[in-house]
Formats: sequence, structure tokens, C-alpha cells
Amino acid sequence: MSTLAVDQAASQSRRKNRKSRMAGIVPAIIVGIPLALFVLFPLTHILGRSFSTPDGYGLANYAAMLGNERFLRITWNSFAVTIVTTILAIVFAYTFAYAIQRSTMPFRNLFRLIAVLPLFAPSLVQAQGLVLLFGRNGIINRTFDLGIDLYGYWGIVIASVLYVFPYAFLILSAALAVADARIYESAEMLGASKWRAFRTVTLPATRYGLAAAIFVCFTLVITDFGNPMVIGGDYTVLASEVYNQVIGQANFEMGTVIGMVLLIPAAIAAIVEKRVSAKQYALISEHSKPLVPQQDRMRDRFLLAAALLISLAILLIVAVVVFASFVHLWPYRMNFSLRHYAFDVQNGIQPLWNSIYISVMAAGIGVVVVTAAAYVIEKFPSPATRALYFLSILPAAVPGMVLGLGYILAFNNPMNPVYAIYGTLFIIAIANVYYYHAHGFLISGTSMKQISGRFDEASATLGGSRLQTFTKVTLPLLFPTLVGIAVFFFMRSMVTLSAVIFLITPNTQVAAVSVLYLQDRGATNQAAAFSVCIIATIMVVLLAVRLLLNATGHKNVSLIR
Amino acid sequence: MTMSTFSIRGTFRGAIAALAFSTTMGLATAQAADAITAYTSYEEDEIAAFLARAKEDMPDLTVNVLRLSSGDLHARILAEASNPQHDVIWGWAVTSLIDPRIGELTEAYSPANIDRIAPQFRDPNGKWFATTGYMAAFCVNDEVLKAKNLTMPTSWADLVKPEYKGEVVMPNPASSGTGYLMIASILQMMGEEKGWQYLKDLDANIAQYIKSGSRPCNAASEGEFAIGASFALRAIKNIAEGYPITMVIPSEGAGNELEANALMAGSKNKDAAKRFLDWTISDNAVNEYYNWKEIVTATGGTMPERFKSAGLPEDISSVMWKMDFAWSAENRARVLEQWQKELER
Repeated sequence: MSTLAVDQAASQSRRKNRKSRMAGIVPAIIVGIPLALFVLFPLTHILGRSFSTPDGYGLANYAAMLGNERFLRITWNSFAVTIVTTILAIVFAYTFAYAIQRSTMPFRNLFRLIAVLPLFAPSLVQAQGLVLLFGRNGIINRTFDLGIDLYGYWGIVIASVLYVFPYAFLILSAALAVADARIYESAEMLGASKWRAFRTVTLPATRYGLAAAIFVCFTLVITDFGNPMVIGGDYTVLASEVYNQVIGQANFEMGTVIGMVLLIPAAIAAIVEKRVSAKQYALISEHSKPLVPQQDRMRDRFLLAAALLISLAILLIVAVVVFASFVHLWPYRMNFSLRHYAFDVQNGIQPLWNSIYISVMAAGIGVVVVTAAAYVIEKFPSPATRALYFLSILPAAVPGMVLGLGYILAFNNPMNPVYAIYGTLFIIAIANVYYYHAHGFLISGTSMKQISGRFDEASATLGGSRLQTFTKVTLPLLFPTLVGIAVFFFMRSMVTLSAVIFLITPNTQVAAVSVLYLQDRGATNQAAAFSVCIIATIMVVLLAVRLLLNATGHKNVSLIR
Repeated sequence: MTMSTFSIRGTFRGAIAALAFSTTMGLATAQAADAITAYTSYEEDEIAAFLARAKEDMPDLTVNVLRLSSGDLHARILAEASNPQHDVIWGWAVTSLIDPRIGELTEAYSPANIDRIAPQFRDPNGKWFATTGYMAAFCVNDEVLKAKNLTMPTSWADLVKPEYKGEVVMPNPASSGTGYLMIASILQMMGEEKGWQYLKDLDANIAQYIKSGSRPCNAASEGEFAIGASFALRAIKNIAEGYPITMVIPSEGAGNELEANALMAGSKNKDAAKRFLDWTISDNAVNEYYNWKEIVTATGGTMPERFKSAGLPEDISSVMWKMDFAWSAENRARVLEQWQKELER
């Protein structure tokens, strides 16, 4: 073959490649427009506000912040909490996920349910449970007279670890769920020890999941204000400072400046995560042989002990909250009482129904939106891919209340078409969809990456169109993930607080906000009772979906993602 | 987008109602005249009780309420300034209402029977009038005092005694209106120089500056700390709940905040809004306030027994520090900045 022919072939394939890359822009734009409207547009208002000073636009707010010693200390606090929490949560979650996916220890399904229990309640109640247990007058201190003072750094870290544990667990569990037994067989045949196989096969194979989990934990913790507010005492972090500036002092400018500052570490985390995942390879190919964990007494015993300890911590927190909802007057009159379930908040139990409406809407919209984004990024590479990816994960870096404020600043304006849904349950559902977009997107993306591109090639070779490949191959393979994502959006929307606090109206109050109000006015037991109602609702829905899936022949679908 | 929005919207009655309410006011005149939206910082149970009474007197008037803490509400009203969603401000901190940015959004109105409210509880320009209020009080946990062998404090001056080290919690003035009224009253009664020195001395005993005004009392009630500086109503309620606490009103005089009502200039239902504002100083309203509020500005009505048994004097003005609200509002930013610089942790 002459050099010319090679050159021609190469330039032809380049042209074809470029052409398909350009064609990919269209779906990217279709998926990108709503993202731009509901994420970027509100953020530009936040950005604009952060530069707004009494003398016009300028850097004065930023200068004031960076020259402030207290602000630098708070930033340090945030990182100290976030890094330690992330490390602990990842270690615990990896161990737990490994125990469930790769061991033969008993009660794995039960452990799985316990691991995700914290997702069933507003995070506020997590910290509340810790105070009930380990507060200065909590059960543990009262019983054993230990004098533990949990308020402050360690209180936030422990509460935050509990808060993000299920998020990390779910991502890592998904990553560990798929493995090709042939590789482990080869490793064994080559004489590799189990530890070596873990280091050289398991860890690298779950690298993408690990990076995603670290990223999600990091951004969740650094932007969480609920736990620091309940258990942080005087230990202030960036997220609670936003709350303080905006809520306490009506200082939008400074609040938005800190909101902007919070975007930086999240953006860096996103870049690192992207680097790692660039080297990701498909875990399941058409030759794959599913890995069936073999029994290993020592390993399984160790994993069982670890899973038991972690489960105990989670269960204790939930149990003490449920308990507190049923006692007459914590901690002085511990006799049984149902009086906290006679909800006397202004709207009674209505906020719970609102939350259910919103959550169902968010589930439906969320599945479509995040799957479309993940699919377009994975299958339609184009010059816009990077931007779309950034837009998709951007919400993870946005504190909920900043997004909510952005919605007010951007959409409470009759000139804006979105104004038509301002003040409705619908916009709250939309806020939830985009606030949790990154996480849903990552779940979807993780699954999509693990479906080998060879399936597409095979389908294309057999004459299938892209649409056919999507509906006949990708979608059925993704189905369990999709149900999981719908349930994910439902659950998160039931418990979310910060993204909606500024969007609620008299007619659209939601359950988690009721918990906050009850908590804030000191009705600890009633707040606990409302949380128990939320937990019960989520459990009922999970059970119903599970029964539905079983009835339609999808018995092995893991529902909670 | 429009189509799907519409169909989703169509399935939800509440969404439609809110939509009709906010965008197509003109089409629903007959209904809109009977409905107003009030933004308030009253507590949930207070709102329910007040509105039940309002319904007796004005069965045809629907009052939609958004309840937010005073700081939340401040942020909300300012964020919506270009297009207010409400007709009246109801039961909101005077110190916040004095904010000139809020003043631009409200309209002067003198309700019927305004004479029932003494001039010191009204805006000279008629933009707002206060009907109720709250005042600082300490919640002291009797069992913790006994267990740790501490004496009962009676004043702000007592709180700096070394024995209370690590046992006092108070609200963070930067995030809590109750916290701010406490340090504003201290600076007003002691003067700036002595006042700041006192706050520094007090700081040595403070276990936590808590971000809400009621939580210090709740924390003390649950035995987490011995003394929670909070407000009187919280103490009275927690005593009624059965918590082993004593309410202590600082003998120097209790800092206080008034809750006022105002008419929004942008209200599209001014007649209905004015009717509601008139009602807020009616007999029925004033009697109901006394079920919930330690400070009722309107004349007439009697204080309930449980308030007195908790330790509130019949003539409440005898224990109230005479707040200079204009000072509180004008110096808020400066005082908070200094407090944050010198004392915030």
C-alpha cells in the first residue's frame, strides 16, 4: 500500500470522525438548554449579585472576604471537616460495599437496607439523633456519666460521615457489583495472593466509582449546613456561614461570594475525577463471566464485624429519633405518648402530601433529564461534551440554598417565562431535579460506562440504528439503574431542605421544611415524629415499587441508588 | 417545554391555585378580593390560633400565610422586592421593618382603633404599628443547677460569675433577632464602652453562641446546659410542657423586640389587606394575643394565669428595657461587625 493511500484513508476517517463529532452537538444542545436555564442562569444571577456593591459592580465583596481573618479560618474549618469526613466515609463505605458485593457473609440484603437508612430522613434528624445520644445530657452521658462533649469539630465529622455514608456506599456498591470472574481466575492461577488480587484488580477496576464517591462526598460535606448547624456549636464552616450571611443578615452579596468560593474546590474535584475516569475501561464485555464470591472465613468474619459496627451506629441514631418521637417529654418523662403525632403546625399534615407530589414529579423528570445527559455525553462525543459534562456535575458544587436564592433572583420576574411556574409545586420539583442532577447523572454515567461499547458495535454490525441500539440494548441494560434513579430522586426530594427553603409558599410547604420549623421552635419530639412520617412514606413507596418490580419479573433489581 | 409544563400543571390543583393567584389576578377579581397573602414571623401555632379568630370575624376573607423566621423573611422580602408576592407584613420585627429598603416597599396606613396602641409602638410616619412583642429571659435548668451545685442567677451581671463557666448558651446575634436585641439592650443600658467589656467578660462563660433564638432555651430545658438566654415566651411554654426550668427575667431590664404589621405598597388587594390590618387591633385579636404573647401593646385584655405563675409581672413594662429601636436598626451592621470581629468564634 502506498503512503498516499494510507494518508487518504487517514484523512477520510478523520473527516468522518469530525462529521460525527459535529453531529453530536445537536443532542448536546437539546440536553444542555434546560440545564443552562435551571442551573447556569440562576448561578449567573448569584455571580452578578456577588459583584454587586453599593457603588456599582466591583470586587469589593471578594476583597472584604479574603482580607478577613475569620473567613480564612472558616475556610480552613471547612476543609478540615470535609477531608477527614470524606476519608472516613470512603473507607467505611468501601468496606461495607465490599462486604455486601464480594463476600458470602450472612444477611447481606438486610445490611444493604441498613446502610441506606440515613437517606430516608432529613439530614437534620441525623445530627439530632447524635445529640440525643451523645449530647451533654444525652442518653450515653447520662447513663455512664462520661462527660463527652460532642459539639464542634468531631460532632460535625461524625454526623457528616453518617450523612454521606449511604451516598458513597451506593456508588461504590454499584462499582463493586460488576466484575469479570475470569480476571480473578487468572490472578489466582498466576499465584497472586488475595490481597494482591484486591490491589491489582479490584481497586483499579473500581477506580471510577471511588473517584465519583470521593467527589460526591467532598461536595456534599463542604456544602452541607444542616449538620454543622445542629451539632457544630461554635465551629463554623463555609456552608453555615452562607446561611448566616443570607438568613441572619440578609447579606446576599457576601452569601453569594461564599457560594462562589464553594464552587472552586468542587470544580477542582470535578477535574480530578474526570482525569481518573478518562482511563476507565468497560468492566463487562460480551465475554464476561459474572463473579460469584467464594467463601473465605477469615475475610467474611472481619467484614461481618465491620458491617455490624457500622450498622449499629446507623441504627442507633434512627432508633433514638423514633424513640424520642414516642416519649412524652424528652429526657424527663420517658413514658410512651402519641401526642407528638397530632401535628399542630399551621398546615397540619398537608406538607407531607405536597412533598409526595413534588417527589413523584421530580422522579419522573429527573430520570429523563439525567439519563439523557449521561447518554449524550457517552454516545455522542462532540466539542460540546466537556461543557455539558461540566454543567451536569456543576449542581453538586452548589449549596442548595444558593441554588434556591438563584431561582428567586432569576425567576421571580414576570419578564421571565419560567415565572409562570414560580410559586408552584412544579418549580420545587424542578429545583430538586437540578439540585440532585450531578448525583443522578453520576449514577447513570457509572452504569453507562460499564456497558461495553462492543454491544453498540455488535448492534450496529447487525444493522441496528442508534435508536434501536438505545431502545433494544442500552435501555434494557440500564433499566435497573433507571428505576434506581427514579427512586433516588423521589427519596432525595422527600428529605431535601436547603434547595427549597426559599421556594416554598403558603400553598407549597414541604415536609422537610416542617421538620426544620418544628426543630427550630424547639419541638424536638414533634420534629422527630414528622421525620418518622417521612421515613415511613419512603419505606411504603419502596415496598410498593419492589412489589411492582417483582410482579413484572425484575426480581433482582437493586432499588436504592 | 410549554406543553409538558401545562399538562403537568393541569394535574395539580394547588399549583393552579397558586398560579391563578400570582399571574391572572385580574381574571379572578371576585375571588381575589377575598384573599390576601401575609408574610409573618409568628410561630406556626400562633398563626393557626390568630387566623381561627380572624375567620370568626371575617368568614369571607382567606388569609394565605407564609411563615419564616425574621431573618429568612428579611431575605425573602428583599429578594422579591421587584415583584412582591404578598399584601401585608404581619407580626414582623420592628428592627427589621425599620430597614429603609423595607420602608420603600410599604405604604402608610392608619387602621381603625389605632388609638388603642400607644404612640411609642407606632411608626411616626404611619408605615407600621406594633401589636405584640417578645422579651429576653433566661431559661435556667433546676436539675442541672442542683447537680452542679450552682446558684440561681438573677441578672446579666450574675452571668459573668466564674461558676457558670461553660454552662451558658445564648443566641448568635448575627443570625438571631433575639440575640441581637440582647446585645443591643446591653449596649444601650451600659453604654458602649462598658457594654463591650461586659460582653467580653460574658464570652468567657459562653459554651456556644447558638444560631437560633429559641434553641438556647430548649438546650437548657433538655439539660444540655444550665442557662439558656432566650425569650420569655419560650420559657413559659417550656415550663408548661413540664421541663424542670425556671424563667429568670434579667433584673437590669429585659431587652425586647416588637412585632409589627404593615401594608405592602404593591398589594393588589388593598381593601382586603386593610380590613385584615384593622382586625389585628380588634378585641378578638387582642384577647387571642394574650394567649400567646408576653408583650401585647393594645390596651384592654388580661394576662393569662400561666404567664404570671411563670414569673411574669402584670405590668410588663416594669421589667422591659426601653429599647431604642432606631438605634438598634441604625447600628445593627456596625455592632454585628464588631461583635463578629471580637467575639464570634
